[in-house]
Amino acid sequence: MVRVSAALGVPLLLYAVGPLVVAQEARSSPSALGTIRGRVEFLRDQPSPERRPAIADLGMPARRDRPDQRIAVVYLESAPRGAFEERPGPTVVLDQRNENFVPHVLAITTGTSVEFRNSDRTYHNVFSLSKANSFDLGRYPPGRSKSVRFDHAGIVRVFCEIHSHMNAFILVFAHRHFALTNAEGDYRIDGVPPGTYTVSVWHPFLAAKSGSVRIPERGGEASLDFALS
Amino acid sequence: MIRSSYARALVFAAAATAPGGVLASDPPAPPPRRLTLGLEAVASAATSDPGYFNDTSYGRSAMRLLRLRVDVSLRLGARAALLAEGRADNGEGGTLSALYLRLRPMPDRPFDIQAGRIPPVFGAFARRGYGADNPLISQPLMYQYLTSLRADSLPASADDLLVMRGRGWRTHYPIGSGAWDRGLPVIAGDRWDTGAEVRIGAEPLSLSASISQGTLSDPRVRDDNGGKQVSGRLELRPTVGFVLGASASRGEYVSREAAGALPRALGRDAYTQKALGADAEYSRGYWVLRAEGVLSQWGVPRVQAPLVTDSVRSWGGFLEARYKVRPGLFAAARVDHLGFSEVQGTLFGGRPTPWDAPVWRAEAGAGYSLRRNLLLKAVLQHNWRQGVRPGSGSEGVAGAQALLWF
Repeated sequence: MVRVSAALGVPLLLYAVGPLVVAQEARSSPSALGTIRGRVEFLRDQPSPERRPAIADLGMPARRDRPDQRIAVVYLESAPRGAFEERPGPTVVLDQRNENFVPHVLAITTGTSVEFRNSDRTYHNVFSLSKANSFDLGRYPPGRSKSVRFDHAGIVRVFCEIHSHMNAFILVFAHRHFALTNAEGDYRIDGVPPGTYTVSVWHPFLAAKSGSVRIPERGGEASLDFALS
Repeated sequence: MIRSSYARALVFAAAATAPGGVLASDPPAPPPRRLTLGLEAVASAATSDPGYFNDTSYGRSAMRLLRLRVDVSLRLGARAALLAEGRADNGEGGTLSALYLRLRPMPDRPFDIQAGRIPPVFGAFARRGYGADNPLISQPLMYQYLTSLRADSLPASADDLLVMRGRGWRTHYPIGSGAWDRGLPVIAGDRWDTGAEVRIGAEPLSLSASISQGTLSDPRVRDDNGGKQVSGRLELRPTVGFVLGASASRGEYVSREAAGALPRALGRDAYTQKALGADAEYSRGYWVLRAEGVLSQWGVPRVQAPLVTDSVRSWGGFLEARYKVRPGLFAAARVDHLGFSEVQGTLFGGRPTPWDAPVWRAEAGAGYSLRRNLLLKAVLQHNWRQGVRPGSGSEGVAGAQALLWF
């Protein structure tokens, strides 16, 4: 069963990734881990961000790719206690291609470094003014990369200073119990200890939702679907 | 001038044709929207400017401006778009400051045509369209400072010119309109001309050319003298982050009424504005460096002694730098000069004297982004004007600006 969270995406997620949150009834038993899986259905699509009208240009602007907005992040609002003690994942890449961040949404654990690669034909200047993880990488040319380590949990909105339509989201979790949806909207969170969890889904522009799921003592799978509108 | 009602009609007509929402079964990457909007609100305030250094018209200053701006792009298939910009300044009525059709006849070839009230091909600063593209508050002197020349009122002698030097914010001459009005800037950075332009090529080399109703210093919606301006620009991008530009322009600037008031017809060629420009931009890391220079020449009539024996000229140039100090915070500075050629009359002891008072400006400031689309700027500016009456030759101005855009 899915219930709509009254609090929408941002505050809900910030609360969820805080290091003090511990699952109710959750027990860390490595021998009986379970999986939460399901599908996120997008009942409505958010138009991708457009360039501001290039009113002062002397011709048509260059063609650009458009971000795939049909990616959501599913995560446990209340994670097992041991989940907060795990080491950060390897460096992940957020690429810039045809004036577009690829992927548009990234989910990582605290302490992970993100490599901002410029695979475009022009300069980019990646920056974020997010309170927990602000940074500005300056302008760098095609073929170059710059990295940022994210040490604080939260939502990081990433922009390009030169191309105002370019934006991406990095969700920094204090635990590893999260998953991105694939092209079909399916998700799968493995390694979940037995217990009852609140599972939430976050999307950049659609209202967040959450539901409850129970992993039995013997482990196994639990299913939870969402419909975002 | 095109009024705001036309702009509103355009927006509503365009909105009516915008596509609806996209269903979940559609492909992941939807096609671009037909209608896109850009909104910008600018509020600038500054200390007093008794020397009128920042005036863009009599009683209007580039440092004291409340502007609401709406940009619209309506895509008409893969090969065409209609673009418009509406502005309302200082609470006054709205104007349509740009309205043109953009065509790319061959979608895969870098060849573009634009017709209507179009962006200028000359120079670089005037196409830094949005407020955030300007790291400071003022405009460079050659794009804003009002010289003492006018299109509708002409000096009869060198003395007429010399009497008005340093008074571009409110000037008049014996020939043509007798009303006091503002003079002409070298390039009107805030107003666009009406005509057609083409651009051929893309990176690393492109060539743009236009034919239009007015001139660099006096862009117009309707022609007022039967002459046309021809402008061109060659742009080279030798490497990423480095842009070099060279521009040229020639157009008749004197109005039909003023030319008709002359004692004898001197031919259109006598009243042209000709200009050459060069610009460069280099950016890397946290730096953006820009430089631009323009040499402009205006023909003036030779009616009575002491005669203006040659065309009058001006040269302007600026250097600008911006450095990002930390996320959201930058510092910027610009040094700027506008100089004028000499004429000889009976005033100033009969010595050759610049026909308008040379001006220098230095401006430095900082900007801070509270949010990505909310920028605050604060600047200190100092201006110097040579050889004018005491009290208006040197002054400092402090200014602040808030800029919100979507």
